[in-house]
Amino acid sequence: MRVLKLRKKDLKKMLEKISSFGELWAPVKKGDKFAFQKIDNLNDVDPNAGRTILPLKKFMVPPRFSMFRYDKDGYHEQLGEVTDRVVFGAHACDINGLLILDKVFAEEFSDPYYIERRKRTAIIGVSCVPDEFCFCKETNTDTVDEGYDLFFSELGDDFLVWVGSSKGDDMVRAAEELFDENISVKDIQKFIEWKKWRETQFKMDIDLTAMPDIFELKIDDKVWEKIGEKCLACGSCSMVCPTCNCFNVTDTVALGKMEGTRDRCWDACTLHEYSLVAGGHNFRGSRADRMKLWYTHKLQAFIGEFGKPSCVGCGRCITTCPVDINVKTVAKTLRGEEVYFK
Amino acid sequence: MNEGLCADIKLANDFQPDMMRIVRKYNLTDDVRFFQVRPMEEQKALTLCYNPGQFMMVSRLGVGEAPFSISSTPSRPGLLEFCIREVGQVTQSIFRLNENDSIGVRGPYGNGFPMERLKGRDLVITMGGLGAAPLRSLILYALDNRDDFGEIYLLHGAKKPGEMLFKTEFFDMIERKDVNTMLTVDADDTGKWPAKVGLVTTLFKDIKQIDPANTFAAICGPPVMYKFVIQELLKLKIPKNQILLSLERRMKCGIGKCGHCVVKHIYTCMDGPVFSYWDVINMKELIY
Amino acid sequence: MANQLPRVGIYGLTGCAGDQLTIINCEDEILALFGAADIRSFVMAKSDNTEDEMDVAFVEGSVSTEEDLSMLKDIRKRSKILIAIGGCASCGGPQSGRALEKNWKDRIKQVYGNTKFEIPDAKEHQPLSAHVKVDGVIPGCPIDKGEFLRAVSRIVNGDMPIAYKYPVCVECKYNENECLLLKGIPCIGPLTAAGCDSVCVNHNIPCVGCRGPVIEANVASEYKLLLEKKFSKEDIVNRAMMFGGVKMAELLENLKGAKK
Repeated sequence: MRVLKLRKKDLKKMLEKISSFGELWAPVKKGDKFAFQKIDNLNDVDPNAGRTILPLKKFMVPPRFSMFRYDKDGYHEQLGEVTDRVVFGAHACDINGLLILDKVFAEEFSDPYYIERRKRTAIIGVSCVPDEFCFCKETNTDTVDEGYDLFFSELGDDFLVWVGSSKGDDMVRAAEELFDENISVKDIQKFIEWKKWRETQFKMDIDLTAMPDIFELKIDDKVWEKIGEKCLACGSCSMVCPTCNCFNVTDTVALGKMEGTRDRCWDACTLHEYSLVAGGHNFRGSRADRMKLWYTHKLQAFIGEFGKPSCVGCGRCITTCPVDINVKTVAKTLRGEEVYFK
Repeated sequence: MNEGLCADIKLANDFQPDMMRIVRKYNLTDDVRFFQVRPMEEQKALTLCYNPGQFMMVSRLGVGEAPFSISSTPSRPGLLEFCIREVGQVTQSIFRLNENDSIGVRGPYGNGFPMERLKGRDLVITMGGLGAAPLRSLILYALDNRDDFGEIYLLHGAKKPGEMLFKTEFFDMIERKDVNTMLTVDADDTGKWPAKVGLVTTLFKDIKQIDPANTFAAICGPPVMYKFVIQELLKLKIPKNQILLSLERRMKCGIGKCGHCVVKHIYTCMDGPVFSYWDVINMKELIY
Repeated sequence: MANQLPRVGIYGLTGCAGDQLTIINCEDEILALFGAADIRSFVMAKSDNTEDEMDVAFVEGSVSTEEDLSMLKDIRKRSKILIAIGGCASCGGPQSGRALEKNWKDRIKQVYGNTKFEIPDAKEHQPLSAHVKVDGVIPGCPIDKGEFLRAVSRIVNGDMPIAYKYPVCVECKYNENECLLLKGIPCIGPLTAAGCDSVCVNHNIPCVGCRGPVIEANVASEYKLLLEKKFSKEDIVNRAMMFGGVKMAELLENLKGAKK
C-alpha cells in the first residue's frame, strides 16, 4: 500500500484540492453530539470529532429514498440523483461496518442503490482515540485495512496517509505537492508509540468471547422477558447501528393520478410490525422475541453466516438506548457478570 | 472504497418488477382468487422458468408489494398462476384488478422443492388451506412428469367444503389411478360433501404403498397444521430430512436484503421457503 | 370508485377546526384535491353542501355533546368509509386530558359550579371510535398535510390510508436528532405514533404525543424511566395526557401508581 505523510496544517488545503471529487461531508457538532454534515466552510472540519449519531450507512443507504418512480407503464429506476461525495472523518469501526454492509448488499443479488452510492462515495478514514463507550478492540474492528480510499493516522504534527484505492490515489495526486513520500524511522517509531498508547485508552470492560455458545445456552432464559419488558420498541438501536440493514418498502401515490414512487426506508426488527404477515399472524409479537432476534443476529447468527459478529464495537447502542439495553448490558447479563435487568 | 465494487457493469436491478398481463382471474373460494398472468414481453414469457415451491414478489402500482407462492407448474410454460387471499392492503387491491389489467411481478425467488432429489421417490403431499398454493405446483409438476416418481399421495384438508382451493381439479384427480387423492373437511356445513370429514391427520392411516426410506413428504398449511402432520409422517417412518415444509414470512425484498424473514442466520427468502424438518427442528421460530 | 369521483364529506365535531383548516391550507394541492374527489360537504370551506350518501367522511373533533353524537351517527350511517382526522377525533384530544379521573360530573361542577349551561348535554369527551366504527385514522394535532393528501390519494384508488405502527423515534433518528430523553428532557416520542417526521424534536422541542399512543406503546417502561429522571408522577401523567386523551388513559390505567 502506498503510504505518505501530510502536515496537519495542510489538511484544509488538501481538502480544497480534492473538491472536484465530490461534495465534502465531515462530522460537525450537533447539540452535544456529532453528525456527518455537508461542509460549506472548511474550518468546520474537525479530525478529532467523536462518534456521529448516525454511522456511514446513511450515505450508502439513506434513511429514506425512492427506488422507483412509477406510472401506468410500470416502474422506472431512480438512481439518477446520486451525487459524488467525499466523506472525511470515518472511524475504523464505521469503515468495518461498511465492509459488513458490503457483504450483505454487494454480493449475491446485489443492491444497485447501495452499490451506486458506495461507488460514488469516497471514504477518508481518520484514526481516533476511544472514549468510555468504545469497544472495537473486543470486536477486532479497531483497525481497518480496506474499504476506504484514504486513511489518516495520527503522527504528531502530521498524518500518515494510507492510500487504499485507485480513487484514493487520484485524490493524493490531485494534491501531490502537499504530500511527503519520505517516512523516516522516527516517524515509524512515533506511529508505533501512538498505537501502543491508543491501546491503553480502551476503558470499557467487556468480554465477547464465546458469545455464539452463550446465546445457544441462554436462548430460553427468563432474562429476555425482562429485557422485553424494558424495551421501548423505539427502533433507535437499529437506526444508529452501522450494520443494521433492514428496510421497509412502501408505495406513495400522487393525488388523482396513477403515478408515484416506490420508497425504501430503514426498518428495525425491534418494531411491532416487523414480522407481522398479512392475515394478522405476528411471528414475533413480543418485544422479548424481537430483542432476542436483534442480539442473536448481531452476536451469534451473523458469525454463522459470515464468520464474524456484525457488531463493530462503535458504542452507539450504548449512547443511544434510553433504557440501557445495549451490547454491553446484554452481553454482561447473559455471561452472568452483572445483573442489569431485574 | 472497495475495489471489488468498482466494476462499471450496469447491474440488473433485482428490485425492478416486470409488467405482466392478467390473463384470467376467478374465485377459488369466498376470499381466495386465482390469477393467471403472462409477461408483457413475449421473450420473457417464453423463457420464464422456475421450480415448484418458489415464490414471486407481486406489485400493485401505488399500493405495494408482497410475496406469493407460484401455483402453476413449470411444465406448462408461458404463464404464472397465483392464488391470492384477500387479507391485506396489497391483496385487496390486487383483488380489484380485472383480466387484461397489468401487474408488476419479479422473481422467481427462494429455493423451491429439490426436484432432482425428488426424482424416483414416493411422494406424500399434505396441504391445508392456502397451503395448496405452492403444493399445487408440485403435484401438477409430478403428474406432468409422472414416470419420474413412485407412488404419489395427495392429502388436502380444508375447514369446510366452501374453503377448499382447487376443489374441481382435485376431485378430478380422485378419478386418476396414478395418484392417491384424499380430500377432507373438518366439518361439512353443506351436508353434500362427497369426500371425507375429519382433520387431515385422519387420512394418514390410508397411506399403505410407500417405501418410507424412499419417500419425500411435502407440507404446507396454517402454522398449527405442521406439528400434527409431522407427527403422522414420523409415524410412517419417513426420515426427518425428507419431510419438506414450505414456510411463510413477511418479506419486503425476496433477495436477502430487507431482513424481515430472518430466523437466526436463515433467510426464509433465500435459504427457503422450503426447509426440511431436520433443518428447522431446533429453530422453533421457523414454524410457529 | 376509480372511474367515478368518490363523494367526500369533511366534518367537524368539538375541536378547534385546525384539521379542517389544515386541509384548506393545502394551497398548492387544493385544486388537485377538488379534482380528485367530489367534495360534497365541507362547511368550513364552501356553501352549497349536500348531505347524502358519502363514499368517505373525514371527521375531526371529539364527541363532547349529545349533538356531536347524533351528528356522528348520522355521518356514519350514510358513509361507506369513516376516517377520524386529528387528535380529538382519534384520541379525545386535550379536552379529554382528565379522562383518567373518570368523575366527569364532579369535574364539571368544580369548574362551572352551578352555572346553567348553554349546551346542556355536554358529556365526557370521547374519540369517534368510542361510539362508531372508524375505518381509518389520520392522527396529529393538527393533522399533517402531506399525510392527509397521501391518505386521500389512496382512498381515491380504493385503498385505505397507511397507519403508522412505529414510534416517532424512528423518524427522529432518520433526521439524526440528538435524543432528548437522554438529555433528561421528558420526550414521549417512544410512546407516540410516527408520521409527523419528528417535527418537534427537529426543533429541539420534546414530543408531546399529539399523534396519540403508538401500537404497543411501552408506557410502563417510559414511566419508570421518567421517574428515574426525577420527574414527578403528576408531571409524567400530565404530559402523557396532554394529547393522549382517552387512548392514553386506557394505557395509564393499567399502570400501578400512575393513577392519581
